[in-house]
Amino acid sequence: MARLELDDVTKVFDTSAETIIAVEELNLDIKDGEFIVVVGPSGCGKSTTLRMIAGLETVTDGEIRLGGERINEKSPKDRDIAMVFQSYALYPHKTVRQNMAYGLHLSTDLDDEEIDRRVQQAAEMMGIEDLLEKKPSSLSGGQQQRVATGRAIVREPSVFLFDEPLSNLDAKLRKHMRTELARIHSEVGITTVYVTHDQEEAMTMADRIVILDQGTLQQIGAPKQVYHEPVNRFVANFIGSPSMNFVDVELVRNADGSGRLVGDDFDYEVSSRLLQPLDETVSDVEFGIRPENVRIDPDAPTEKSLETTVDVVEIVGSDNFIYLELAGKEFRVRAPSEVEPAEGEPVRITFDEDDIHLFDSASGEALVHGYPSTSVTTTAERSDTTAD
Amino acid sequence: MLNDNRRSRALLYAGIVAFALFAIVPYYWVIRTSFLTNIAAISPDTGFIPAFGKLTLESYTQIWDRFAFVTFFRNSIIVSVAATIISLFFAIPGAYAFARLDFPGRKALFYTAVFTIMFPWIVLTIPVYEVFYFLDMVNTLVGVIVALSIFVLPQNIWLLQGFFRQGIPENIEEAALIDGHNELTAFLRIVLPLSLPAVAAAALFAFLTAWNNFLWVFVLTTDEEVRTATVAIYYILGSDVLREWNVLMASLVLLVAPPVIFYGLSRRYVGEGLGGTPG
Repeated sequence: MARLELDDVTKVFDTSAETIIAVEELNLDIKDGEFIVVVGPSGCGKSTTLRMIAGLETVTDGEIRLGGERINEKSPKDRDIAMVFQSYALYPHKTVRQNMAYGLHLSTDLDDEEIDRRVQQAAEMMGIEDLLEKKPSSLSGGQQQRVATGRAIVREPSVFLFDEPLSNLDAKLRKHMRTELARIHSEVGITTVYVTHDQEEAMTMADRIVILDQGTLQQIGAPKQVYHEPVNRFVANFIGSPSMNFVDVELVRNADGSGRLVGDDFDYEVSSRLLQPLDETVSDVEFGIRPENVRIDPDAPTEKSLETTVDVVEIVGSDNFIYLELAGKEFRVRAPSEVEPAEGEPVRITFDEDDIHLFDSASGEALVHGYPSTSVTTTAERSDTTAD
Repeated sequence: MLNDNRRSRALLYAGIVAFALFAIVPYYWVIRTSFLTNIAAISPDTGFIPAFGKLTLESYTQIWDRFAFVTFFRNSIIVSVAATIISLFFAIPGAYAFARLDFPGRKALFYTAVFTIMFPWIVLTIPVYEVFYFLDMVNTLVGVIVALSIFVLPQNIWLLQGFFRQGIPENIEEAALIDGHNELTAFLRIVLPLSLPAVAAAALFAFLTAWNNFLWVFVLTTDEEVRTATVAIYYILGSDVLREWNVLMASLVLLVAPPVIFYGLSRRYVGEGLGGTPG
């Protein structure tokens, strides 16, 4: 059973210069066979967390359990893990075959035949059979990455740990390797903890995403959930590219329960359905909407639209990213490629109430998501959405 | 840019040849003179390139007969090799610690260690002598070995820590830890084999420094039995060899020969070790 649990795990770096709390009371329960992606901006503690699981960093407080057993005091070689580093960390003076077999020779009692068989099998899975006798220096980045992954697969560990393995590859190769790793995971089925700063990798590869910021857990959830129901402003901003638009608005209520969101150059009517979960006293909120949910529509009704000016149009091919100016601030819209307004042109934009997110101005916590939640996730998936 | 056209290349080569000649001529002169007779060495008729018939091994045989050069040589070799090995034994783990680990006082300790390279050794002769006298190591080979090991240590640390800092792939010790090593075996089985070029370069410089050392041998020894070749030449010059340039030059050639051979043997590694990359 390779269930990985992190129980109130804390890591404090106490140097002569300063004290840094890298990870603060992190709680994770990773099921056997799950592919977990830990994301966050630089310095959020994701690599530190991974290294604590690996045993390369000590745990200041809290407990890490693998298969129910506490592993805090165990050295890396006794933890039954395998790790793939961002820099691959291949042994330069050994061949690919020796690199892959080294761990098995060193820590297991397997005989040479069995080791060779495993190496061959892993090499075939990674597509590197004809590179087995080469040395790492003669391989390309992508090939080295496959060797590093193959070296981990060969160990048949309880947990795979990946530390931003694709960061050093070019964009195309990165996308290709993403699908490769997903395929391998479905074949091999080993619990995986994957660290990255790329939210796209997280969304495409994860069973569940763990989002960290400055050492604290923001949200754990399935990709769809994290996308449609971000638990706070940070998550809403981090997930999705281009990132969500935020506008400070004031909520003006009508007698019948509906209302208007009012801000600079901003006046949008909302129904009572949307406002119903909100507390009576709430008035200052932060309005959020994703660029892909905004449309340019000159014929939209005024109470459901905003007037903006076009700043920059980015043509990506499949879509256009249109950067608008709304009351002096940037407002992003993703439009189909046919929609290509001129720079400086005034445009009217509109969006559906279903796509609105409202956040508390002070704490950043999500107050309301417009999307009817039953259509997004099942109740079972919702059981572990938020951090507290 | 320099190699763009033939003219600039020709100029470049001409410059290099000129400098090379400038550097090589003294060495050539030493070797040439060592193969001449006493009279021929000081005679202006012998010319820059002596006639083949005039060459003789007379000066070399004289050295063999008149001076205990075997002893001096043996001492030089013992002292240099021992000092190299001992200082490397301490420098390698020390440099690794400085490069890869973080501990309180690391910076201060490192700069102290390296500062001693820059310190003029001659200022320390009296205190060093007193210390070695106190330890009863004056006029012994062991004393000389200890002294040279110590004075060669800082340059080894400096050279090696630069390599450890940059020449070892990142995370490789951690990969080794996960594969099944502990910190010590990871260092011995993974990091050290990768560091052989740097260690060879450090060994070469250590050997040269120890071999060429005059000051500490001179200060710490008086008897012929423990004298090394460098100091021996000094005494040869001051003895009845005076003006017998051929004998002096011959002893120089003998003195310089081992380092040259040693360098020739380790040349392949030195380039890698200094630059951190092959070639």
